[in-house]
Amino acid sequence: MNLFGLFRSEKKRREALVGGVVMPDSARCVQCGICNYNCPISLDVRRHAWLGQPVQDSHCLTCGECIRRCPRGVLRFDRTHLFTPPAASGAEERIP
Amino acid sequence: MTRYVLVGSGAAGFAAAEAIRRHDRLGEIVMISDDLNGYYSRPGLAYYLTGELTQELLFPAPKEYFKRLGVRLLPGRVNRLKIDSHTASLQSGESLPYDRLLIATGAQAAPLKLAGTDLEGVVKLDSLQDAQKIARLARKARTAVVVGGGITALELVEGLVASRLKVHYFLRGDRYWNSVLDESESRLVEQRLIDHGVRIHYQTELGAILGKNGRVAAVRTTSGELLRCEILAYAIGVRPRLELAQASGLECERGILVDEYLQTGAEDVFAAGDVAQVYDPLSGKRIIDSLWNPAKLQGRQAGLNMSGSRQPYDKGVPFNVTRLAGLTTTIIGMVGGGRDGGSDPDLLGIARGDSETWRELPDAIAAQSGFEINRLRILVGQQNILGALVMGNQTLSQPLQQMVDAKADITPIREQLLSPGATLADILFDFYESWRADHVPVQ
Repeated sequence: MNLFGLFRSEKKRREALVGGVVMPDSARCVQCGICNYNCPISLDVRRHAWLGQPVQDSHCLTCGECIRRCPRGVLRFDRTHLFTPPAASGAEERIP
Repeated sequence: MTRYVLVGSGAAGFAAAEAIRRHDRLGEIVMISDDLNGYYSRPGLAYYLTGELTQELLFPAPKEYFKRLGVRLLPGRVNRLKIDSHTASLQSGESLPYDRLLIATGAQAAPLKLAGTDLEGVVKLDSLQDAQKIARLARKARTAVVVGGGITALELVEGLVASRLKVHYFLRGDRYWNSVLDESESRLVEQRLIDHGVRIHYQTELGAILGKNGRVAAVRTTSGELLRCEILAYAIGVRPRLELAQASGLECERGILVDEYLQTGAEDVFAAGDVAQVYDPLSGKRIIDSLWNPAKLQGRQAGLNMSGSRQPYDKGVPFNVTRLAGLTTTIIGMVGGGRDGGSDPDLLGIARGDSETWRELPDAIAAQSGFEINRLRILVGQQNILGALVMGNQTLSQPLQQMVDAKADITPIREQLLSPGATLADILFDFYESWRADHVPVQ
């Protein structure tokens, strides 16, 4: 793959991550804390899972460590609607 | 001003405290617990034992949070309730008046009925205190024997393996967790244990615990075999902590009997969590769920009903994701255990992480498929999927949970699912893609 191809795939990866938000399935969560333990920014991902709220903290790097490490498969990446104009998406604005 | 007393500091008690405070800004809330460590994640103890977590991380809410919430934490034990006078008599001799009270005392490990259980080295996994003891003993031990079934037995096995001990696992029956898993699933788990270096002893029963200088030195099986070890860990089931309810004259069976509003027979006394046997309108039975999420939801609903609501607890379909010998396993709805399901010789009654609903044998046909460790078992009813077990690859876990919960009508694919050699995963996934367009709200 030439250099330009590499650049393109990296750009695609970053676009995907930037458009992603960590989303918990709170019914699976047992509040063990492995997510918090592995977060490089020490975000309280666990608390978001308790409340069933997406991690819309602007500090989140979308590194995906919490998703990888959760022993119960609580977390996943969802598409965020933050960059979609409200009229277009029809989705309700969520205030964190 | 209403006085709320919450007995117990587990998931149910904590969820109740939050729910009450959301609806009653002024009421006084006291949470009394005989666990000196307060509120922590009991399921997380397994991950503390394997080294995936440090102790500090086990606490979802620091002391400051309770202060902000306006909840007074009181270490202690309630011996008995005086229902008419609305007072709780504490072991310390004090009397705590209440307007509404929640019993969320949880469950504890069923005891081993053998001599020698007071020897150092005999361990169980109920509390953080137990886990700390295991961690301490494991540092100096070389061999451990584990007896029991269900999820906790494996948590003990895995934790001890992670501490580099030689682990022997005694199974009284001929396969693991036969009341919930079917034969192939049991074997998958057992193989993983063997791959981790665990020695499984089938149809082996613990006969005696032998000690020296107050410590465990060996165990003897009922067939006379002697095994040297320093640790004997047991997980033969849990018993709801009924002492308070019984001393107060509340009606109990296996657990404290409550209606769908989580109320006991006594005025202003509620129960939730592992201790509660909750009325399920769907089956007409009263069921114990020994699971974290139901405890949280029951606690929350009890808290709401204690502070002015009157809404039934929506039981939903029982659901748990756990890790069995490192294999992520989701159990949904009714799964039965095959022909011999219902009574597991390794367990006396309910195990932690278990739901009594799973052990019902539904009037359904099983469809299954699996490649290596991507095992899928579906219990197919007349119109719906009644239950599912997903072991290994979890792609279908959430789709199945949604469809079982919503009682999705699977008649279009019923024939396909039950035909021999069906590629279940593909059939289900295709069906789910079109079903969800109509049924799952866009987030």
